Amino acid sequence: MDPAEVEFLAEKEEISVVPNFTQDKIYLIGGDVGPFNAGLPVKVPLWMAINLKQGQKCRIIPPDWMDTERLQDKKQEETDSKFFTEMPSPHFMEITQLLLKCATDDIPHADEIRTLVKDIWDLRIAKLRSSIDTFLKSDATHAKLNYLTLMELNTARPFLTKALDQMHLLRSNLSGRIQSTQE
Amino acid sequence: MFIKDLRKGFYDEILHQRVLVLVAFDVDALCACKILQYLFQCDQILYTIVPVTGKEELEKAYVENSEGVKHVIFINCGASVDVVETLQPEESVRFYICDSHRPVDVHNVFNAVQVKLLMKEEEFDELPEYDSLFRDDDSDDDSGNDSDSSERSGKRKRFDDEAIEKRRDKRIWNENRQKILFEYNQFSTYGTAASLIMFELAWKMSKDTNDLVWLAVVGVTDQYIHFKTPRDKYIDDAMALESHVARHNHRGDDEDNIISINCLKIVFDEELQLTLYRHWSLFDSICHSVNLACKFKVWTLKGQKRLHEFLAEMGMPLSQCKQKFSSMESTLRHNIKQMIQDHMTKYGLTNQDVVIPSFSAQYGYKNKLCASDYVLACVATLENIDKNKSATDNFLSALDILQRVNVASLEKAVELAKKQTQAIVTQVQTFLDMHQVISAGPFLYAFIQEGTMDVKFFSKPQCLMRLARFTLEAHCSVSRNKRARSLPLVLGAPLDGEQGTTLVIGIPPLQLDDERKNFFGKAFEQAAVSTNSRTLHDSFDSYIMEMKTEDRSKFFDALISLLN
Repeated sequence: MDPAEVEFLAEKEEISVVPNFTQDKIYLIGGDVGPFNAGLPVKVPLWMAINLKQGQKCRIIPPDWMDTERLQDKKQEETDSKFFTEMPSPHFMEITQLLLKCATDDIPHADEIRTLVKDIWDLRIAKLRSSIDTFLKSDATHAKLNYLTLMELNTARPFLTKALDQMHLLRSNLSGRIQSTQE
Repeated sequence: MFIKDLRKGFYDEILHQRVLVLVAFDVDALCACKILQYLFQCDQILYTIVPVTGKEELEKAYVENSEGVKHVIFINCGASVDVVETLQPEESVRFYICDSHRPVDVHNVFNAVQVKLLMKEEEFDELPEYDSLFRDDDSDDDSGNDSDSSERSGKRKRFDDEAIEKRRDKRIWNENRQKILFEYNQFSTYGTAASLIMFELAWKMSKDTNDLVWLAVVGVTDQYIHFKTPRDKYIDDAMALESHVARHNHRGDDEDNIISINCLKIVFDEELQLTLYRHWSLFDSICHSVNLACKFKVWTLKGQKRLHEFLAEMGMPLSQCKQKFSSMESTLRHNIKQMIQDHMTKYGLTNQDVVIPSFSAQYGYKNKLCASDYVLACVATLENIDKNKSATDNFLSALDILQRVNVASLEKAVELAKKQTQAIVTQVQTFLDMHQVISAGPFLYAFIQEGTMDVKFFSKPQCLMRLARFTLEAHCSVSRNKRARSLPLVLGAPLDGEQGTTLVIGIPPLQLDDERKNFFGKAFEQAAVSTNSRTLHDSFDSYIMEMKTEDRSKFFDALISLLN
């Protein structure tokens, strides 16, 4: 899966917006949205929120977790724990990117939030890398990681799976030759 | 016909239709076009944009692109042309004219069906009455009578008196009409900027953003920088925009609500009238700004000494003044405005010469730009003399520059603007040194000799306009002739060497600066007709025209006798 696909899946998440128009409920395949009343918040999927924002038809309300204090606490928690902690949303990275790109003026302290989310991401990727390292060195056959998000998984997946295949090939070649020399 | 409500009369009509947009070649038109593009993108309206340099191109562009299009929008072009007559559209086509050129052709004003004017009706207080210009004609009856006269000689005697009365009335009415039309079309001026009108449309639809405010600011500043509107009108428009700026930019100061540094922040302030001073050295900037250069007379030795004295008195070390502005000491940089205002009266400068209320924009940590710099950079790209680029390429690059993200192209454009300004000042210096600004009785005139360096810059109308104004101010400041301030100026620049054409521009005298009414449009036309000169009145600005260089002398003789 490439990052664009993951972002596409992330756009299904619900987010609150305040529209400036009034409209009845919209019936879509993925579910019903609305009704829209000007000035009242309503939950819509992220893709629709971004589309409305670009057409100047709404104001986006940032999700609860997108707040400097909560993110500071999360970052501290992530630093203290040896394993992965639970993230406020399974698509926190994609949502942050999308919102900060199109709705920068609706989000207070946007710069700080961007830095904090990047820090959390870096911490988790570093943990992922060291965990893969340990896994390979210990020659284990399986490993289990909790609370890993889809985006992080996809940074490792292509390379890891190919690398493990190659290692298996090399190992089987090596053990084959040892067996043949022993015989 | 004027549209009262821009939203209902104009925007709702084009909401789900295809539109054709014809845009003139100036920065105000570009800004209006960008605002309109933004609105179209919000509402997913299909559009085609075609840049046009003159009336011929307008017709050509219309003919090429009008298939299936029922709504045509003119931005800063088309007001002075009877569009229905010239373009011969079908019955169902609607024209929307958003043009700051005045006067608007009377046919455009009174056509209630096909032509809608996107302008502020309050500005039109001298419109002639409908009845004095148009009436149901009995003229066919008269000519019919004349041809039948041989057969109806008996009855004719009785109708004779009535017919004579009618013909006399008609003749009087026609003469009156000609007089009214002449007075109405005599002076060409400019109304509210097209970008400001488009911005107000966006505002009424609650789709205005800080970016659109900045575009409107640039459009209004362009009108002032190219001496199209008088200072008072500019200040009125700037005040109107200031309220919008305040509305969009009041956040960001209180602790809870700090917005990202990457958002555009516009600031309203009194700005120094020094050309491009943030991107140049202070000394160069003073020498290249119209007001200050002329007050100090920097092309003379004495003027240079006075300028040095002025800088020394303000406490600015000369070496720093000649360096790039951004590398001056920060205390000097911050206090420059205050220092100039403190010391200016001794050197004959007034507050009006030095500062003007204006806007500056900031986004990111690096980019701070003031509106006039932005206009000059944009105009420099639009009138790029690079032979490899066609006019449309220049138009598209200029549109790109208005997009904030292209910082690199903006820097290149500022360099181009510097070159243009330097060319202007060098040319003015040549004019004054060689006494080439000659008084011809009712006006002053000057010609740029072919083969001068950088003469290619002046084959473009906006640059030529700035040159003309600079020349007039410089000449008035050195001339001993008391009447110099009341004389207008006609300037000619070689346009195309192979075809032997010259670009001629006429600007009003400095004394009438409060109104900036230009009468050269009509004067040029009449002089051309009376001498049979080969001229082309193609530009949307009536006071700029092209002519064959050979016809120059007889044309000017005619002009002199006309204006005497």
